[in-house]
Amino acid sequence: MAPQPVVTGLSPKEGPPGTRVIIRGEFLGCRAQDLIGLKICGSDCLLSAEWKSPNKIIARTGPAKGKGDIIVTTISGGVGTSTVQFRAYHETIGPLKESAVWIEESPSQNFAWGRRTLTQSGLTQEDPLGLSIEGNEQKIPEDLRDLFPDACGDLSQENFSPAWFLLENHLATSFEDLKAGLSYLKRKVESQKEGQLSFLKSNAGSVIDQLDTLMNIRDKFQEDVKLYGKEPFQVLEQSIENSISESQKIFNDVLVRKEKADSTRSVLFALSRHKFLFCLPNSVDRRAKAGEYDIVVNDYSRAKNLFGKTELAIFRQVLEEVDQRILLIRRQLHEKVVKMPQSVEQQKKLIKALTSLEMQQSGTAIGDRLRNTDPAWDAIEARAKYLESTFRQTFDQYATKDAATQEKAKSRDPNQPPNRVNFCEELCDIAASQLPDLWRLGQLYFTGELRGPHDPKPGDFKRMVLTAIEKFCIYLRLTILIAADQRALRQSSGLSWPIGSSSATHHFLPWIPQCLRYTRIAYATLIGLDLPSDALDIIQKLIDEVRLFCFSIIFKRATDRCKKLGAQETWETTVEDYPGATQLPAALEALLVETLEEVQSVCMQPEVREGNLLEPHSDGQREVTQRLQELLSTFSGVIAELAYPSHDDETPTHNVSQLLGFPNAQQPESVSGGGSGSGGGAALNWEQRMLCCLANYAYCNKSFFAHIGDIFVRHGYPLPTLAIETARYNANQLFTNLLEEYVEHKGDPLVGTIEPSMYLGRFQWDHEMEIGLGQLRPYAHECLDNLVGVYSEIYSISPALLRPILESIVQTISEELARLMSCVQHFSYTGAIQAHVDIRLLRDGLENYANETAKNYFMEALEAISPPLNGEQKRKADEILERVKRNMRLQLLCFAVKEP
Amino acid sequence: MSKKPTAGPALHKVIMVGSGGVGKSALTLQFMYDEFVEDYEPTKADSYRKKVVLDGEEVQIDILDTAGQEDYAAIRDNYFRSGEGFLCVFSITDDESFQATQEFREQILRVKNDESIPFLLVGNKCDLNDKRKVPLNECQVRAQQWSVPYVETSAKTRENVDKVFFDLIRDISSRKKQRQMDVKEPAKPSPCCQLL
Repeated sequence: MAPQPVVTGLSPKEGPPGTRVIIRGEFLGCRAQDLIGLKICGSDCLLSAEWKSPNKIIARTGPAKGKGDIIVTTISGGVGTSTVQFRAYHETIGPLKESAVWIEESPSQNFAWGRRTLTQSGLTQEDPLGLSIEGNEQKIPEDLRDLFPDACGDLSQENFSPAWFLLENHLATSFEDLKAGLSYLKRKVESQKEGQLSFLKSNAGSVIDQLDTLMNIRDKFQEDVKLYGKEPFQVLEQSIENSISESQKIFNDVLVRKEKADSTRSVLFALSRHKFLFCLPNSVDRRAKAGEYDIVVNDYSRAKNLFGKTELAIFRQVLEEVDQRILLIRRQLHEKVVKMPQSVEQQKKLIKALTSLEMQQSGTAIGDRLRNTDPAWDAIEARAKYLESTFRQTFDQYATKDAATQEKAKSRDPNQPPNRVNFCEELCDIAASQLPDLWRLGQLYFTGELRGPHDPKPGDFKRMVLTAIEKFCIYLRLTILIAADQRALRQSSGLSWPIGSSSATHHFLPWIPQCLRYTRIAYATLIGLDLPSDALDIIQKLIDEVRLFCFSIIFKRATDRCKKLGAQETWETTVEDYPGATQLPAALEALLVETLEEVQSVCMQPEVREGNLLEPHSDGQREVTQRLQELLSTFSGVIAELAYPSHDDETPTHNVSQLLGFPNAQQPESVSGGGSGSGGGAALNWEQRMLCCLANYAYCNKSFFAHIGDIFVRHGYPLPTLAIETARYNANQLFTNLLEEYVEHKGDPLVGTIEPSMYLGRFQWDHEMEIGLGQLRPYAHECLDNLVGVYSEIYSISPALLRPILESIVQTISEELARLMSCVQHFSYTGAIQAHVDIRLLRDGLENYANETAKNYFMEALEAISPPLNGEQKRKADEILERVKRNMRLQLLCFAVKEP
Repeated sequence: MSKKPTAGPALHKVIMVGSGGVGKSALTLQFMYDEFVEDYEPTKADSYRKKVVLDGEEVQIDILDTAGQEDYAAIRDNYFRSGEGFLCVFSITDDESFQATQEFREQILRVKNDESIPFLLVGNKCDLNDKRKVPLNECQVRAQQWSVPYVETSAKTRENVDKVFFDLIRDISSRKKQRQMDVKEPAKPSPCCQLL
C-alpha cells in the first residue's frame, strides 16, 4: 500500500466557493481512478477534481466557509492529511464585482406588490464614517469570528462590535482617516440633534415636496366636497357597504358554484375510480363470451375484495348484478365443462374457473341459489360417459358398415383391411387418447388441483376407469377373438358383431397380428399413465389372449400350408442319416422354423408388462401342444396321403409270377428299375413311394420329431413332449398300417402263386420225379426269386425297412408252405426228398428273416412230409440241397447279409 | 495572529515577494516538487508547507507565494505581517522588477518594523544570462546597501534554488534561537523596540 496522500501546496490558499484550486502534494493517487475522495474545508469536491499527476490535482472549492484541511483519499494510500489549509470566504457580490459563480442580480424580495419597500436600507449601506470604501477591499486574513466570538459587524445588530466593524471595513484606513471619519460621524450625530431650522435646511427639498403633496390633497378634497356634498363619508360608507354586500353576493355565488363543481368532480372521480365495478357486469359477460374465464375470475374476486363488504347501496346493487351474471356464467361453465369432446387443458381451465367462482359465491345468498356442484367430478363423469359412448358409437358404426359391405359385395380387396381391423385401430386410438385424458383429469382431481370443497370419491373413479378399460377390452374381444366362444360375452355386454360369412372371417384372420399391434400401442400408452395394476391387468389379459389367438392362427395357417406340402414332394431321398426318407420332413422343418419365427415376432415375444404365454400348465402351453400335435398329425396325414395311391394313379401291377403268365408279365422293370433314387420322382412307382413314405415315417418316429422338439426348445419353448410323443405314436400307427398294406400288397400275390406254381403241369407229390439233377421245384425257385425282387426294391429305397417287411412276408410264405405240405396226402419217395429239399432251402435261405413263428411253420412243413424221410432219403436230400445251394448261390447270398 | 503553537518541528514562515512574472512560483514549485512550470499563471496567494532537514534538525518550512501584480498590493500587508523571512525576487532580464524590489523592501520593513528581518535578494532567471538587463554589480551594490545576501538563481536549472531557501530558514532559525535567549534574559529590551 502506498503511503498516505499528503497535501503540501495550495494555489490559491483562499477564495470564495467555486475557486479553482491547484492542490499539490505527494501520493495523491497513482491514476485518476485511484482518487476516490477530495474534501476541501469539509465540502466534497471530488466531482470537480481533475487528477493531473500524483503530485497535482486541480479542483474547485465547494460551498464551505472558514479555514479547513484538504483531505485527499486514494485507493492505494487511504485517507490523507494536509500541511496547508484553505480559507473559504463568502463575498458579497455586487454588479461590478467579478465572480466565479452566477449571482442572481435582481433583488428578489424588494418589490412586493409592485410597491417600493418601506424599509430604509440606507443606514446599513451607507458608511457611517463617511469614508470612501475605495481601496478597502483588503480582507483581514483571520476569521473575525475567532476574535470576537460574541459579536458581529452588523450595525443594526445588538451585539455590534465597533472593533469588528473597523477591522472588517477599514483595515487599510489610516489612523488620520479614521479620525476624520470619527469627526464626520460626530458631525452627523450633532446635525441630528440641532434645531428644526437646520433640519429644514438640510431637508429643504423634501419639506417642499411634502407641502406640494398636502396642497394636492386639499385640492382633491375640495373637488370631492363639490361632488359628493358635505358628508362625503356617508357616500363613501354606503358605497363601501354596497360593495361589501355585492362582493359577499358574488363570493357566495362563486362559492355555490365551486361547491357544485366540486361535488360533480368528486362524483366523476368516484365513478372513474370505481369504473371497474360499474363496468364489471358487462365486462364479465363479454369476457365469458370470449372464453376468458380467468379474467372473469380475477375481476370477480377483485370486486369481491374491494366491494364485498361495502355498505354503499349503489355498490351493493352493482355487485348483486355481477353476482347474477356470475351465476349465469357458472351455469354456462358447468355446461361447457361436461360438454365433450374437449381437451383436458381446456376442461381444467374451465373447472378451475368454475371452482373458484363457486368458492367465491359459496356462503352468500346468491351463491346458495345454485347448488354447489363438483365440476371436476362432473367433468370426469362426462368424460367417462363420452368415452363409453365413443366406443359404442364406433362399434356400431363399424359393425353396421361391416354388415353392409358383407351384403353388398362378395369380392373384397384382400389388401384392404377389413372393417374389424379398422374398428380395432380406431378403438385403440380412442382409448389411447381419451383414457389418458380421463386418467389425468382424475389425477388432477385427486391431487386436489381441481377439487372444489367436496371430498373426492376415489372408489368411484377407480371403478370408472376399470369399467372403461373393461369396455374397451370387451369391444376388442368381440372384434378380434373371432373364433372364441363369445356367447357369454354377448349376453353380458348386449353387443355383437354381425356374424359374417366364413370367407370374411377367413379374410380377417391374417389381420389379427395388426390388431394385436394396435392394442399393444394403446396398452403402451396406458402403461405410461401409471394406472392401477388391476386396470392394466385387464388389458394384459386381453392381449395375452389375443397373442395366443394369434399364435393359434399362425399355426393353423402353418397346418394349412403343411397340408399342401404333399404337392411339393419330389421323392428325392436325400436325407443322409436315414436312407429312404425324402425332403418332406425338411420342408416341414423349414415351415415350422418360419412359423415359429413369425410367431415369435408377432406375438410370443412378451412386450412391456405382458405375461409369458408359456408358463407350465397354462393355456399357452396347452395351445402350443395342441397346435403342434395338429401340425404333426397333419404332416403324418400328408405322408399317408402320399403313400396311398390316388385314383388316377397307375393300377398296381401284379407282375409277380412269370410262370402263370399274367397279362402284364412283360413289364418286369418295376422289380429291377427302382434300384436307384436318381431315377427321379416321376420314375418312382407307387410301391417305391410307399417305401419312401414308410421310410419317412420311420425317420420321423426315430429322429425327426425329436429334432422338432429341439427346434422348439431353441426358440424358447418348453419341450413339447406330449405333442411329439403323440405324433410319434400316430406316425408309428400309420407306419404299421402302411407296412401291413405293403406287406399285404407284396406278400399276397407272392404267396398266392406258390400253390398254383406247385401244382403246375399236373404235378403231384406222390408221383415219382427226377431228382438227380439237384434242382428245386419251380415254385420254390419262383418264390425265392420273387423275394429277391422285393428285397431289391426295398433295399434300393431304404434298407432299414427290409427286416420288418421281409419278416412278415417270410412268415406268410412259411405258413403257406406248412398249409400246402399238410394238405398233401402222400409223398412219393422222390417227392418227399424234393419237398424236403425245397422247404429246407427256403428255410435256410431265409433264415435271417424268419422269426420264431416262421421257423415253426417251416418245421411244421417239414414234419408234414409223410411218410417221414428215411436215412437214405435224408442223405440224398442233403446231397441235392448242397448242389442246389451251390447253384443258387447268388440268390441266397443276398438274404445271407445280416445287416444290409 | 494568534496562531496556536504547533507541536512537532519548528515552523518557519517564508514569504515570496517580487514583481509579477519574475518566477516566485517557479522557484517555489521547483523547491517543493522539483518541478519547473513553463506556462505562466498569475498567482493570487499560494501556500506550501514542507518538512526539510536543516543542519541535522527537522524543521517545517511554510512558503507563502504572493501575488506580484499591483492589483493585489493592498492585501500584501496582511501577508507580510505573518512572514518570518522574505525572498525578494526579481528577474535579471527585467530591470523594472529589479527596481520594484526597493518598494517591496520598504513595505516589508514598514510592516515588520525590523531592519534585520531575514531577507534575501534573489536574482532569478540566471540561465538567461545573455538577456541580462540588470548588471550583476548593481545587484550586489543594492544587497550591500541593504546588508542582505544576494544570490542569483534559476528555477529552470534549479541553480541555487535550495540554497536560497535553506539560507533563509537557517537565518530565521538562528534568529529565533537568538530571541529565545533574549527571552531568557529579559533585562534589556530589544533594539528594534528602542527604535520605535
